[in-house]
Amino acid sequence: MLFSTVLGRQVVGSSAADTVGQVAGFVVDPATRRILAVEVKKADSGTVLPWSRISTVGEDAVIVSSAESITVPDDATAALEGKAHVLVGKRVLTSAGNQIGTIDDVDFDPQSGAITALLLDTGTVSGSRLVGVGSYAVIVDVH
Amino acid sequence: MSVLMRCSEIATRPVVTMAGEALAQVKDIVYAADGGEVAGFTLAGRGIFAGPLDRGLVWSSVAALGADAVMITDEEALAPLQGVLDRASSHRGSRSDVLGAEVLTDTGTALGEVVDVIVEVGAENRRCDVVGYEIVSSEALGHRGTKVLVPLPDTLSASGEHLMVPASATAFVRDDLAGFGAAVDAFREQLGGQR
Repeated sequence: MLFSTVLGRQVVGSSAADTVGQVAGFVVDPATRRILAVEVKKADSGTVLPWSRISTVGEDAVIVSSAESITVPDDATAALEGKAHVLVGKRVLTSAGNQIGTIDDVDFDPQSGAITALLLDTGTVSGSRLVGVGSYAVIVDVH
Repeated sequence: MSVLMRCSEIATRPVVTMAGEALAQVKDIVYAADGGEVAGFTLAGRGIFAGPLDRGLVWSSVAALGADAVMITDEEALAPLQGVLDRASSHRGSRSDVLGAEVLTDTGTALGEVVDVIVEVGAENRRCDVVGYEIVSSEALGHRGTKVLVPLPDTLSASGEHLMVPASATAFVRDDLAGFGAAVDAFREQLGGQR
Protein backbone atom coordinates (compact mmCIF):
# COMPACT_ATOMS: atom_id res chain seq x y z
CA MET A 1 0.00 0.00 0.00
CA LEU A 2 1.27 3.50 -0.83
CA PHE A 3 1.65 6.48 1.52
CA SER A 4 -0.23 8.63 -1.02
CA THR A 5 -3.32 6.38 -1.01
CA VAL A 6 -3.62 6.30 2.80
CA LEU A 7 -2.92 10.01 3.26
CA GLY A 8 -6.14 11.91 3.99
CA ARG A 9 -8.07 8.72 4.78
CA GLN A 10 -10.55 8.71 7.67
CA VAL A 11 -9.63 7.12 10.98
CA VAL A 12 -12.77 5.34 12.30
CA GLY A 13 -13.38 4.04 15.82
CA SER A 14 -14.97 0.56 15.69
CA SER A 15 -16.72 0.80 19.08
CA ALA A 16 -18.84 3.82 18.22
CA ALA A 17 -18.41 3.67 14.41
CA ASP A 18 -17.57 7.34 14.36
CA THR A 19 -14.85 9.23 12.52
CA VAL A 20 -12.19 10.15 15.06
CA GLY A 21 -9.62 11.78 12.78
CA GLN A 22 -7.87 11.91 9.42
CA VAL A 23 -4.47 10.52 8.35
CA ALA A 24 -2.02 13.43 8.02
CA GLY A 25 1.35 11.69 7.77
CA PHE A 26 3.64 8.85 8.75
CA VAL A 27 6.34 8.52 11.39
CA VAL A 28 9.00 6.11 10.08
CA ASP A 29 11.75 4.56 12.20
CA PRO A 30 14.75 4.03 9.89
CA ALA A 31 16.37 1.68 12.43
CA THR A 32 13.58 -0.90 12.12
CA ARG A 33 12.44 0.25 8.63
CA ARG A 34 8.86 0.30 9.90
CA ILE A 35 6.08 2.83 10.40
CA LEU A 36 6.19 3.71 14.09
CA ALA A 37 2.97 5.72 14.10
CA VAL A 38 0.47 7.52 11.91
CA GLU A 39 0.06 11.26 12.31
CA VAL A 40 -3.60 12.22 12.73
CA LYS A 41 -5.34 15.55 12.38
CA LYS A 42 -8.83 16.63 13.49
CA ALA A 43 -8.66 14.32 16.51
CA ASP A 44 -9.62 15.44 20.03
CA SER A 45 -7.31 13.23 22.09
CA GLY A 46 -3.95 13.76 20.38
CA THR A 47 -1.93 13.90 17.16
CA VAL A 48 -0.44 10.43 16.70
CA LEU A 49 -1.77 6.92 16.39
CA PRO A 50 0.85 4.28 17.36
CA TRP A 51 1.03 1.50 14.74
CA SER A 52 0.37 -1.16 17.43
CA ARG A 53 -3.06 0.36 18.17
CA ILE A 54 -4.32 0.17 14.58
CA SER A 55 -6.82 -2.65 14.06
CA THR A 56 -6.84 -2.56 10.25
CA VAL A 57 -5.58 -0.37 7.43
CA GLY A 58 -8.49 -0.95 5.06
CA GLU A 59 -9.18 0.10 1.48
CA ASP A 60 -11.24 3.11 2.54
CA ALA A 61 -10.54 3.73 6.21
CA VAL A 62 -8.10 3.12 9.04
CA ILE A 63 -9.90 1.26 11.83
CA VAL A 64 -9.05 1.73 15.51
CA SER A 65 -10.92 0.48 18.59
CA SER A 66 -11.81 3.93 19.91
CA ALA A 67 -10.86 7.60 19.82
CA GLU A 68 -8.57 7.02 22.82
CA SER A 69 -6.16 5.12 20.57
CA ILE A 70 -5.00 8.49 19.29
CA THR A 71 -2.57 9.96 21.81
CA VAL A 72 0.04 12.60 22.33
CA PRO A 73 3.43 11.44 20.93
CA ASP A 74 5.82 9.67 23.32
CA ASP A 75 9.55 10.57 23.31
CA ALA A 76 10.57 7.99 20.70
CA THR A 77 7.82 9.10 18.33
CA ALA A 78 8.39 12.81 18.94
CA ALA A 79 12.08 12.38 18.02
CA LEU A 80 11.18 10.95 14.61
CA GLU A 81 8.24 13.24 13.91
CA GLY A 82 8.27 16.48 11.98
CA LYS A 83 9.34 17.87 8.65
CA ALA A 84 12.99 16.79 8.99
CA HIS A 85 11.98 13.12 9.01
CA VAL A 86 9.46 13.16 6.17
CA LEU A 87 10.47 10.84 3.32
CA VAL A 88 8.38 12.03 0.39
CA GLY A 89 9.96 14.85 -1.62
CA LYS A 90 13.44 14.33 -0.16
CA ARG A 91 16.65 13.66 -2.11
CA VAL A 92 18.12 10.15 -1.84
CA LEU A 93 21.86 9.61 -1.30
CA THR A 94 23.58 6.22 -1.27
CA SER A 95 25.97 5.46 1.59
CA ALA A 96 28.72 5.97 -1.05
CA GLY A 97 27.72 9.64 -1.37
CA ASN A 98 25.98 9.59 -4.74
CA GLN A 99 22.54 11.10 -5.31
CA ILE A 100 20.19 8.66 -7.06
CA GLY A 101 16.91 10.57 -7.10
CA THR A 102 14.03 12.03 -5.10
CA ILE A 103 11.32 10.11 -3.24
CA ASP A 104 7.89 10.34 -4.88
CA ASP A 105 6.06 7.78 -2.74
CA VAL A 106 6.63 4.96 -0.25
CA ASP A 107 5.21 1.42 -0.39
CA PHE A 108 4.50 -0.39 2.89
CA ASP A 109 2.99 -3.61 4.21
CA PRO A 110 -0.44 -2.71 5.72
CA GLN A 111 -0.20 -5.64 8.14
CA SER A 112 3.22 -5.10 9.71
CA GLY A 113 3.90 -1.48 8.81
CA ALA A 114 7.23 -2.51 7.26
CA ILE A 115 8.58 -0.22 4.52
CA THR A 116 8.77 -2.46 1.44
CA ALA A 117 9.92 -0.01 -1.23
CA LEU A 118 10.94 3.59 -1.86
CA LEU A 119 9.51 4.89 -5.13
CA LEU A 120 11.96 7.40 -6.62
CA ASP A 121 11.53 9.60 -9.67
CA THR A 122 14.31 7.51 -11.20
CA GLY A 123 13.19 4.01 -10.14
CA THR A 124 12.39 1.79 -7.17
CA VAL A 125 14.66 1.04 -4.19
CA SER A 126 13.97 -1.83 -1.80
CA GLY A 127 12.84 -0.72 1.66
CA SER A 128 15.45 -3.02 3.22
CA ARG A 129 18.18 -0.64 1.98
CA LEU A 130 16.90 2.28 4.09
CA VAL A 131 19.64 3.53 6.45
CA GLY A 132 18.66 7.00 7.64
CA VAL A 133 16.15 9.81 7.23
CA GLY A 134 17.38 13.32 8.01
CA SER A 135 16.66 16.92 7.17
CA TYR A 136 19.17 16.90 4.28
CA ALA A 137 18.58 13.52 2.69
CA VAL A 138 17.30 9.96 2.90
CA ILE A 139 20.29 7.59 3.01
CA VAL A 140 20.12 4.13 1.41
CA ASP A 141 22.72 1.36 1.39
CA VAL A 142 24.70 1.03 -1.87
CA HIS A 143 24.15 -2.71 -2.15
CA MET B 1 36.50 0.22 -8.24
CA SER B 2 38.32 3.52 -8.07
CA VAL B 3 37.07 6.93 -9.16
CA LEU B 4 38.97 10.02 -10.33
CA MET B 5 37.85 13.46 -9.16
CA ARG B 6 38.91 17.08 -9.47
CA CYS B 7 39.50 18.63 -6.06
CA SER B 8 37.63 21.78 -7.11
CA GLU B 9 34.53 19.60 -7.37
CA ILE B 10 34.99 18.29 -3.81
CA ALA B 11 35.07 21.78 -2.28
CA THR B 12 31.56 22.93 -1.24
CA ARG B 13 30.33 19.32 -1.28
CA PRO B 14 28.12 18.67 1.79
CA VAL B 15 29.29 16.46 4.67
CA VAL B 16 26.33 14.16 5.42
CA THR B 17 25.82 11.65 8.24
CA MET B 18 24.26 8.22 7.66
CA ALA B 19 21.23 9.63 9.50
CA GLY B 20 20.73 12.08 6.63
CA GLU B 21 21.84 15.31 8.31
CA ALA B 22 24.19 17.71 6.52
CA LEU B 23 26.59 18.98 9.21
CA ALA B 24 28.97 21.08 7.12
CA GLN B 25 30.46 21.51 3.69
CA VAL B 26 34.02 20.96 2.49
CA LYS B 27 36.03 24.19 2.55
CA ASP B 28 39.46 23.00 1.49
CA ILE B 29 41.41 19.79 0.96
CA VAL B 30 44.38 19.05 3.23
CA TYR B 31 47.18 16.98 1.69
CA ALA B 32 49.41 14.66 3.73
CA ALA B 33 52.99 15.65 4.50
CA ASP B 34 54.44 13.87 1.45
CA GLY B 35 51.82 15.46 -0.82
CA GLY B 36 50.80 12.15 -2.35
CA GLU B 37 47.60 11.63 -0.41
CA VAL B 38 44.58 13.48 0.92
CA ALA B 39 44.87 13.75 4.71
CA GLY B 40 41.50 15.33 5.33
CA PHE B 41 39.29 18.36 4.86
CA THR B 42 38.74 21.71 6.47
CA LEU B 43 35.06 22.55 6.85
CA ALA B 44 32.71 25.48 6.64
CA GLY B 45 29.14 25.83 7.78
CA ARG B 46 26.46 25.32 5.16
CA GLY B 47 24.96 28.28 3.35
CA ILE B 48 26.32 31.42 1.74
CA PHE B 49 26.96 33.36 4.95
CA ALA B 50 28.36 30.55 7.08
CA GLY B 51 32.00 30.86 8.12
CA PRO B 52 34.77 28.29 8.65
CA LEU B 53 34.31 25.70 11.40
CA ASP B 54 36.78 24.93 14.20
CA ARG B 55 36.43 21.26 13.40
CA GLY B 56 37.83 19.31 10.46
CA LEU B 57 37.55 15.83 9.02
CA VAL B 58 40.47 13.39 8.77
CA TRP B 59 40.40 10.97 5.82
CA SER B 60 40.24 7.90 8.09
CA SER B 61 36.89 9.14 9.43
CA VAL B 62 35.37 9.49 5.95
CA ALA B 63 32.95 6.65 5.23
CA ALA B 64 32.69 7.46 1.52
CA LEU B 65 33.49 10.25 -0.91
CA GLY B 66 30.81 10.31 -3.56
CA ALA B 67 29.85 12.52 -6.47
CA ASP B 68 27.27 14.43 -4.41
CA ALA B 69 28.36 14.18 -0.77
CA VAL B 70 31.09 13.26 1.70
CA MET B 71 29.55 10.56 3.90
CA ILE B 72 30.41 10.12 7.59
CA THR B 73 28.95 7.78 10.20
CA ASP B 74 27.88 10.48 12.65
CA GLU B 75 28.96 13.76 14.21
CA GLU B 76 31.74 11.95 16.16
CA ALA B 77 33.70 11.75 12.89
CA LEU B 78 34.48 15.47 13.05
CA ALA B 79 37.76 16.22 14.86
CA PRO B 80 39.39 19.42 16.16
CA LEU B 81 40.74 21.38 13.20
CA GLN B 82 44.33 21.60 14.49
CA GLY B 83 44.62 17.81 14.53
CA VAL B 84 43.70 17.73 10.85
CA LEU B 85 46.14 20.49 9.92
CA ASP B 86 48.99 18.78 11.84
CA ARG B 87 48.85 15.96 9.34
CA ALA B 88 49.61 18.33 6.52
CA SER B 89 53.03 19.40 5.32
CA SER B 90 54.25 22.84 6.33
CA HIS B 91 54.56 23.75 2.64
CA ARG B 92 51.76 23.25 0.17
CA GLY B 93 49.48 21.90 2.86
CA SER B 94 46.22 22.81 1.28
CA ARG B 95 44.66 23.04 -2.13
CA SER B 96 44.96 26.81 -2.30
CA ASP B 97 48.75 26.49 -1.77
CA VAL B 98 49.16 24.11 -4.68
CA LEU B 99 47.02 26.11 -7.08
CA GLY B 100 49.01 28.59 -9.11
CA ALA B 101 52.31 26.76 -8.51
CA GLU B 102 54.52 25.99 -11.50
CA VAL B 103 55.13 22.40 -12.54
CA LEU B 104 58.75 21.71 -13.55
CA THR B 105 60.16 18.52 -15.02
CA ASP B 106 63.35 17.09 -13.53
CA THR B 107 65.06 18.16 -16.75
CA GLY B 108 64.14 21.77 -16.06
CA THR B 109 61.22 22.41 -18.41
CA ALA B 110 58.25 24.39 -17.11
CA LEU B 111 55.07 22.54 -18.11
CA GLY B 112 52.57 25.05 -16.84
CA GLU B 113 50.60 26.34 -13.87
CA VAL B 114 48.43 24.15 -11.61
CA VAL B 115 44.70 24.96 -11.79
CA ASP B 116 43.34 21.79 -10.16
CA VAL B 117 44.40 18.61 -8.39
CA ILE B 118 43.18 15.16 -9.49
CA VAL B 119 42.63 12.54 -6.79
CA GLU B 120 41.77 8.87 -7.03
CA VAL B 121 39.41 7.42 -4.43
CA GLY B 122 40.38 3.77 -4.11
CA ALA B 123 38.17 0.75 -3.64
CA GLU B 124 36.76 0.47 -0.09
CA ASN B 125 37.93 4.06 0.51
CA ARG B 126 41.26 2.91 1.96
CA ARG B 127 43.12 5.96 0.68
CA CYS B 128 42.60 9.05 -1.39
CA ASP B 129 45.61 9.28 -3.67
CA VAL B 130 46.79 12.41 -5.47
CA VAL B 131 47.36 11.12 -9.02
CA GLY B 132 47.73 14.24 -11.14
CA TYR B 133 47.51 17.96 -11.69
CA GLU B 134 45.37 19.84 -14.11
CA ILE B 135 47.59 22.56 -15.55
CA VAL B 136 47.33 25.40 -18.02
CA SER B 137 50.06 24.26 -20.35
CA SER B 138 53.11 26.22 -21.48
CA GLU B 139 54.73 26.00 -24.96
CA ALA B 140 56.66 22.94 -23.78
CA LEU B 141 53.58 20.74 -24.28
CA GLY B 142 52.95 22.06 -27.78
CA HIS B 143 49.56 23.64 -27.13
CA ARG B 144 50.03 26.72 -25.01
CA GLY B 145 47.19 27.89 -22.82
CA THR B 146 45.03 24.78 -22.91
CA LYS B 147 44.07 22.75 -19.85
CA VAL B 148 45.74 19.34 -19.69
CA LEU B 149 46.20 16.62 -17.07
CA VAL B 150 49.70 15.61 -15.93
CA PRO B 151 50.17 12.32 -14.06
CA LEU B 152 52.20 12.25 -10.85
CA PRO B 153 54.52 9.58 -9.46
CA ASP B 154 53.54 7.66 -6.31
CA THR B 155 55.77 9.77 -4.10
CA LEU B 156 55.95 13.43 -4.87
CA SER B 157 58.94 15.73 -4.60
CA ALA B 158 57.27 19.04 -3.88
CA SER B 159 59.84 21.66 -3.04
CA GLY B 160 58.98 24.96 -1.44
CA GLU B 161 58.60 26.76 -4.77
CA HIS B 162 58.04 24.28 -7.54
CA LEU B 163 56.28 21.00 -8.08
CA MET B 164 58.68 18.63 -9.77
CA VAL B 165 57.68 15.69 -11.98
CA PRO B 166 59.81 13.24 -14.00
CA ALA B 167 60.30 14.37 -17.63
CA SER B 168 58.70 11.12 -18.82
CA ALA B 169 55.36 12.36 -17.42
CA THR B 170 54.94 14.49 -20.56
CA ALA B 171 54.35 11.31 -22.58
CA PHE B 172 51.29 10.53 -20.46
CA VAL B 173 49.56 13.92 -20.56
CA ARG B 174 45.81 13.66 -21.27
CA ASP B 175 43.04 16.11 -22.14
CA ASP B 176 40.24 14.75 -19.95
CA LEU B 177 39.55 12.44 -17.01
CA ALA B 178 38.35 9.57 -19.20
CA GLY B 179 41.42 7.50 -19.83
CA PHE B 180 43.57 9.51 -17.41
CA GLY B 181 43.42 6.72 -14.83
CA ALA B 182 44.99 4.30 -17.32
CA ALA B 183 47.63 6.92 -18.19
CA VAL B 184 48.55 7.30 -14.49
CA ASP B 185 48.86 3.52 -14.11
CA ALA B 186 51.01 3.22 -17.23
CA PHE B 187 53.22 6.13 -16.12
CA ARG B 188 53.76 4.68 -12.66
CA GLU B 189 54.44 1.23 -14.05
CA GLN B 190 57.13 2.66 -16.32
CA LEU B 191 58.72 4.54 -13.40
CA GLY B 192 58.69 1.38 -11.30
CA GLY B 193 60.40 -0.55 -14.09
CA GLN B 194 63.28 1.92 -14.22
CA ARG B 195 64.20 1.50 -10.59
